[in-house]
Amino acid sequence: MSPSLKMASGLLGRATRQLAAVEAIPSSRTIPILRSTMQCRSYAQAQRPRCQNAPVSFIRNQFSTTAFRARAKTMGQLRQRNSTGPFSWKAAALFILTGAGMMLYFRVEKARLERKRIAEMSKGVGRPKVGGPFVLKDTDGKEFTAEDLKGKYAFVYFGFTHCPDICPDELDKMAEIIDKVKEATKDDKLFLPVFITCDPARDTPQVLREYLKEFHPDIVGLTGTYEQVKHVCKQYRVYFSTPRDVKPGEDYLVDHSIYFYLMDPDNDFVECIGRQDTPESASKVILEHINDWKREGRPLKTE
Amino acid sequence: MGWIPWSSGDPNKASDGGRIAPDRSSRARCWEARDLFFSCLDRNDILDGIKNDKEARQKCGKEVAEFEAACSQTWVKYFKEKRVMEYNRDRTIQRIKAEDAAKVEELKSKGQIPK
Repeated sequence: MSPSLKMASGLLGRATRQLAAVEAIPSSRTIPILRSTMQCRSYAQAQRPRCQNAPVSFIRNQFSTTAFRARAKTMGQLRQRNSTGPFSWKAAALFILTGAGMMLYFRVEKARLERKRIAEMSKGVGRPKVGGPFVLKDTDGKEFTAEDLKGKYAFVYFGFTHCPDICPDELDKMAEIIDKVKEATKDDKLFLPVFITCDPARDTPQVLREYLKEFHPDIVGLTGTYEQVKHVCKQYRVYFSTPRDVKPGEDYLVDHSIYFYLMDPDNDFVECIGRQDTPESASKVILEHINDWKREGRPLKTE
Repeated sequence: MGWIPWSSGDPNKASDGGRIAPDRSSRARCWEARDLFFSCLDRNDILDGIKNDKEARQKCGKEVAEFEAACSQTWVKYFKEKRVMEYNRDRTIQRIKAEDAAKVEELKSKGQIPK
């Protein structure tokens, strides 16, 4: 904390300088002609600070190496120093500024450590784990596994295309978040938004492709067999209520959790983004995590 | 084009066997029809469009027909249920708030909380 140290030594220096100036006056260095008046004045002036400062300043003076650095050159300077004491507006401003700066620094650092704690929470043993290995297929019908999420910040959402109102709202929000994060990171490959359907019977790759196109071209749509989807929902602790045997043509709704899951490049769960979050608050949280990761110099896959 | 329930010659069937969901514009149409129907229910002081189906159809015949044409059956049911659920939820929240306020007043009058 060099600024505070500097400030402290500055104040100390001022205090000792003050004393030095007062001490110096009656000495032989004073011009002889002025002596008589000087002594009168200095006696009067010396009394005040000596009474006030004596116990502390005398002790400090013995250890100080900065004394005698600046003697007051004129009576004006001397008078001013004596009238304001060791404190001046400059010192006060410096004190407040340094204090405010430190407070800000500690606050930022505290927030960062709190995020780190949240991020670290899902690592290690004995923690409930969100996410894990899965095998699904993307909208081109190609296999997509949990490995494909690694090295990027994945943003996972579960839903189904026949969702009446919540999923479309949330997907619009997702699109805004994607744009905000992309704009801020200036990196197209860092952030990977993923939509996993809970309704594989109706949501085939083609259906997902057409559906997600309307929200954001970057969203990766994933589907699979009933068992595969049930498995991935279980991995992510998503409530899964899709009926297994639906008659062709039967219309139904699917209950599902409505959280976004932010997964770090190690594919560990970091944070939940819920209905209450706005695109602004959500992208802020995500960007903070991404920046923490970058600042720690941890690996990211950017190809 | 309204919502056509899956009948023969299904236009909502994707070529890979999936079922195409309503797109953005048909969702918007459905939500609009829903809002019109619900505002009609509000005007007539009807809360539950399922329980008071008969009354709703009598008073908001046109709106309910348009609502059902614009949205799938499950969506119609879902929105009607959601309306009741949200009403009850809001009322519960209001009740709790009122109870809280009453409790605070009571404690204040007893002098347990500084005024």
